[in-house]
Amino acid sequence: MTMGKFLIRRLLQGIFVIWGVITIMFGLRAVSPGDPATLMLGEGATQELIEHVREQEGLNEPIYVQYFDYLQGMVVGDFGYSWISNREVEAMVIERIPATVELAVAATVVAIVIAIPLGVISATRRNESADYGATLFSLLGISTPNFWLGLMLILILGVWAGIFPTGRRPVGFAEAVMTLVQHGSLYDLGIWLQYITLPALTLGTYFTALITRLTRSGMVDELGKPYVTASRAKGLPSVLVRYKHVLRNTMIPIITVLGLQMGTLLGGAVITETVFNWPGLGLRLIDALNARDWPLMQGIVVFIAIAFVSINIIVDSLYTYLNPQVREE
Amino acid sequence: MTEDILRVHDLSTRYFTQDGQVNAVSNLDLRIERGEVFGIVGESGSGKSVTARSIMDLIEPPGEITGGEIKYRNGEFAETVADEHPNAVNGEFVNLLELPPNVRQSLRGTSFSMIFQDPESSFNPTLTVGEQLAEAVEVQRRASARPRSTRARTQSEEYSLGNFLLSTVLPSQKYITEESRERAIELLELVGIPDPVERADEYPHEYSGGMLQRAMIAQALAGEPDVLVADEPTTALDVTIQAQVLDLLDELQEETGMTILLITHNLGVIARMCDRVGVMYAGEIVERGSLEDVFDEQVHPYTQGLLGSVPDLEGATRRLQPIPGNVPSLLDHEMDDRCYFADRCPKAMEDCLEHPPEFEVPGSDDHEVRCVLAEMEYAESRAVPDDHFSETSRTAADKHADPDRTEDDVQPQRAEQPVDDSGGDRL
Repeated sequence: MTMGKFLIRRLLQGIFVIWGVITIMFGLRAVSPGDPATLMLGEGATQELIEHVREQEGLNEPIYVQYFDYLQGMVVGDFGYSWISNREVEAMVIERIPATVELAVAATVVAIVIAIPLGVISATRRNESADYGATLFSLLGISTPNFWLGLMLILILGVWAGIFPTGRRPVGFAEAVMTLVQHGSLYDLGIWLQYITLPALTLGTYFTALITRLTRSGMVDELGKPYVTASRAKGLPSVLVRYKHVLRNTMIPIITVLGLQMGTLLGGAVITETVFNWPGLGLRLIDALNARDWPLMQGIVVFIAIAFVSINIIVDSLYTYLNPQVREE
Repeated sequence: MTEDILRVHDLSTRYFTQDGQVNAVSNLDLRIERGEVFGIVGESGSGKSVTARSIMDLIEPPGEITGGEIKYRNGEFAETVADEHPNAVNGEFVNLLELPPNVRQSLRGTSFSMIFQDPESSFNPTLTVGEQLAEAVEVQRRASARPRSTRARTQSEEYSLGNFLLSTVLPSQKYITEESRERAIELLELVGIPDPVERADEYPHEYSGGMLQRAMIAQALAGEPDVLVADEPTTALDVTIQAQVLDLLDELQEETGMTILLITHNLGVIARMCDRVGVMYAGEIVERGSLEDVFDEQVHPYTQGLLGSVPDLEGATRRLQPIPGNVPSLLDHEMDDRCYFADRCPKAMEDCLEHPPEFEVPGSDDHEVRCVLAEMEYAESRAVPDDHFSETSRTAADKHADPDRTEDDVQPQRAEQPVDDSGGDRL
């Protein structure tokens, strides 16, 4: 199958998945209790006003008409207005994307930078103390809940030691870069880095642990394969055997996991964002949920679905690039 | 020219497993002459491959070479290492086991190279064949460019992790050069792969098994080695392809004059290729000599058994004579100090209960056998009773359960169980 056909098929599958998410969200809203018009207007609105809003928003139409209106809006990128703040949902989602992406990327960087060397050391010094240390670390990392780890980091490194600031960050990455470009000052970037460190560690710990395990077991598997012996037999320097051959092949499944993890991180950093008051999508989702702000909730969930599906397609393409055997099929 | 290129003396390679120490190769002696094809033949598990890997320094934990010498004759190399490793050098010979791993690595690809049984798993599936061949060429190219001092040879020029990381951004730091790529294509052509330019850019899974084995031979030849170790080079191939690959090896050997150590369980391959043969059993060579010595004048009952297990067209009506039983486990604590084949040997005698030395067989100057039959005739009167070995191995097994139990205790039990289906233990 050619690359083009492959992409088209994956895209169609992706669209189907997103449609499913949209429909389920609509269904949940339809069956959930509470009158939207009352929610929008708040306590004390007159019956007349409520009726007016119901008419205006199409809430008196039959359910299928509402569904198709809603779907139509989604297709052209109209997600509606927030019931609480009466702002456009797209804008409310888009303004929160940078913080979430920054955190997801930072957590992934933490995971890659720590996990892959650790996994390699662990695999090449099997059953030595370094290996036991790495195994213990990953066991702890996998079994530590995020909210606890986040609180502990804030308490120990933030409050007691005072190394890292706590509270809402004053500056985003884009602004920090602007400062650098306009004033040549690294100051804001430093602040940004200080604020993102603890959330990134918190969010990255689980994945660091996971990828350490994956790297270790994958590499142990690969090291036992005959082509490794054959590469050694032809006199190839051990660095090349280990990294160019073995690690590269180990990376194929790890890339998949990393990609899927990026998808999860984009939407799933709810707990970490809440603990650190991080101005990302997860925090906004929680806010929307608490206020029963359905359009905002739908907008965020659909965005997460789109992000997840796109990342999956990218990962698959990358996988195809790395593994020539898949490329053929 | 009949000088020795390789002398293996008293080589022992052991594996330290959870079940105990496995004596994969025990006190093995081997002498290979320059330019010959030396064959090692034996059943699976007899230690053939371990011998090959010991010579290549490819033994990995839990395996370990525990003793002996592997002496390689190369005057130039001897001079190079003489200053830093005087203990290793003796005239033109260098004892490889006295050298540190990095120096031994520098010999791989350039002095020794190896082809493997299964070409499909012996290539990295995610790199093109051309790239993998080019790596082997590059090993040789860099080795010949190195200065002669061993320290410089093995340390300053070593491709480091830093180089590798840089190579991901700087093409100039890449291990492989354009020249070595071109040489790789020439090598593919040399081993008879059509359209080598296109084929070089293909991945191993796009090759057929035979093609891939040719490519592996090309890869092994990249370093113009003195000794080519071929570990079951044709086992994974179809019969017609086998013949082609053997022809190719033959041709290349004639052209380059390299020495081949051929490991196989296939007597047909041995007969077709080899000048001299060693028959391996339970980690030692039990019979060695010229092809004629071993095939026509063999003394060891094991050699006879091996030859008897081969189907032959002329005597198609004759039933094959398999050797009963299996190769012993080679676990140190289960090996008695006897002839290791005695439990399967149709001619086992009381004399076989002591481990036999190597005897010279009269009538040929290079024919040796580790069997008392070289010195005496088989005598029925001295034969070991049929149940001797099943007896001892049984007690050994029972001793695990109850160390205090003597053989007398075991005896009545055996009477109740006359049928012994343990196969391997029986004669």
